[in-house]
Formats: sequence, structure tokens, C-alpha cells
Amino acid sequence: MTLLCRESHITCGDLRGLFAAATREASEAMRRWTNSPIELTLDEVRELPLEDACGRLGVGDEHFAMVAHTIDDVVGGTLVLMFDKDNGRRLAASLLGKGSQNGGGWSEMEISALTETGNILSCAYVNAITRLIDRRLVPSVPYFVSDYGASVLQQAFAAHASLRDAMLVCRTGFHHAGDELSWLLIFIPTIALREAMEDAFVHLP
Amino acid sequence: MITTIEETTLPGVAETGVEASVGMGLSALAAAPDRLTAILGSCVGVTVYCPALRLGMLSHVLLPDSRGRSGHPAKFADSAVRHMCSTLAARGAKPDELLAKIAGGARMFGRGVHTRIGEENVRAAVAALDSAGVRIVAREVGGDIGRRISFDLSTGSVTVESIGRESRTM
Repeated sequence: MTLLCRESHITCGDLRGLFAAATREASEAMRRWTNSPIELTLDEVRELPLEDACGRLGVGDEHFAMVAHTIDDVVGGTLVLMFDKDNGRRLAASLLGKGSQNGGGWSEMEISALTETGNILSCAYVNAITRLIDRRLVPSVPYFVSDYGASVLQQAFAAHASLRDAMLVCRTGFHHAGDELSWLLIFIPTIALREAMEDAFVHLP
Repeated sequence: MITTIEETTLPGVAETGVEASVGMGLSALAAAPDRLTAILGSCVGVTVYCPALRLGMLSHVLLPDSRGRSGHPAKFADSAVRHMCSTLAARGAKPDELLAKIAGGARMFGRGVHTRIGEENVRAAVAALDSAGVRIVAREVGGDIGRRISFDLSTGSVTVESIGRESRTM
């Protein structure tokens, strides 16, 4: 996940703890949805310069299948689940119980399967954060996009880029039966949501 | 090779032979025979070219309006255009010879207030170029597609690629 960072005494390491519950919840939701031993791990938390954020995330002019959700509120943000084409095809095939397609565009069934995956994952995160900050967050309908990864992320970054030139990046990894999957979940909260999470951290027992 | 990429270090610019990628919120100056590239979604790529000198700049604009906010001038449409014009003028380019092309400004997803940033970027870039007296000779903007642009300093042409579409040169 990617968070926009403000000047704060709360460190990247501190924020790890805030997302541990969300990661566990999303992990459980994914296991139920895929009926397979998929596990999510919050692999790293670090601050990245805005101008190079996509590059450091390994997202450039490669083709990704993405499912984006927005939380259109002052206390809001954007969540993007990203797959490279091969991983997206494999997941869709697994969920649909049929062999993976080799080429061509995405079928409606594949889009539906991936969109629902993004929906389940995002809702699990949003629910966990809602409980953490004690404020209801309502995600939008999911948007499926198949395009350059950087093109999609920059729209999410732009909504928050006016206040700082650096972002705190929390990378969530996915593992299936011990193998790492090339999936990426990126969360960019608004400044207000970031502050709400920091306040929640301060008041943790 | 890229002759000059600003006077300061630009961490988002990675040189790869004769082609350099310009990161979000940054600009680069280059001369023939080099090329500058950028990946665009809601961002707008603004190229300004001086045909007489075969010299030009690409700004990867993230937001429409600087209004006292911090960051590299290329981050905002208004300050990016001012920055490019003054940088090129300092190298001998005459303002009335400059030609601009713009690309990007898409709405990649969503319907909320933050998703209109692409349209606002395009409007702001056009207004800033008009205000600076720089002629816009081509544009490929809007829609819901990502774009990879390649600015060829030998000719001033800008090639636009999108996934699943024929590339276009403007």
C-alpha cells in the first residue's frame, strides 16, 4: 500500500502496526474467495520521492490489469490492485475453473472475476481501517482498467501531490502456497485519512 | 546523448543512451538527436520546441496550478510553461519561434472530484501556453487511455503510443 506522508512524529515503522489488522483481514477474505492458501504480507514501508514513485514500485510502461476503488470523501483515498497480464490471466482462470487464455483482450468473465477480487480485497482493507479510525469509509464501485500501470497510479498520486513531494510506500505482497505472486496493492489515503490513522495510532493502548 | 537536463540533479530522469525518461513533476531540456519520453495518464506532457536550434523541453505536468505550492516548476502547468520558456530563451530561442504540443490529461478511472484532474491539467496547460504566446501546433488529450510519448528533438515530432492502438505521430 502507498500512503501520502505528512510531517509527523509518527514513523514508517509505527504505521506498519496500523495496517497489520487490515492485512490479516484482507488475507482471510482472499483465502475464502479464492479457496486457496493465498496470504498477504505487508512487506515494506518506506518513503519515496513523488517523481520516481512509479519507478521504485516497479510500475512503468508495463501493461497491467488493475482494479481501482476511490473513497470520495475528505477522509478518503484510492486503492489500486495490480496484476501483470500473466498473473491476472492465471487468477481469472483459477476463479473461473478453466484454462488460462493466452492472448487477446480480457473477456467479460475474466474482468468480472478480477473486479470481484479487487472488490473483496479493498472492502476488507477499508473495513479494517474504518474500525481503526472509528469513521465509516465508503468505497466506490470497482473500476477495471487494463493499461500502463504508471498512467493509472499518477491519477491517484495527483489528488494528493500538491502538499508533499514524497510518499510513504507500504508494499503488500501476495503469496500462494509459499510462492510469491506478482500482485501489488497500493493504497493512497487523503491527508485527512492519514491524519485520522495517526490519531488512532496515538490512542492505541 | 542528452545535452543538458536542467542545471540541477533530477532523480527522476534516467538516461538510456539517447533517450531519457522524464518522471512525474519534472522537466528535461535536450537537443537533436536525443529523445525524451514520459508515461502519461492524468498528467499532461507539454513539449516546447525551437526548430531553428533543434532544442526543446518536455515537462511532465502533474497538477494545474502552482499557487504558492512547493515543488519543481514542472509539477504545475503554469510554472512549467514559464520555466520552459525562460530556459529556452536563455539558450537563444526566440519566443515567437517556439512550438508546443500537448498530450495526456486522461481520466483513467472513477467519477469523483479527484478524477477530473486530467481535464484540469489540459485546460491549465493550454491557458499557460496561450498566455506565454507559445503556439500549440498539435494535441492528443483526454479520453480514458494511458499514453507513452516520445519527443524527437531532431524533428520536434511527438509519437504517442497507447496499449492496443496504432501509434500516432504529431
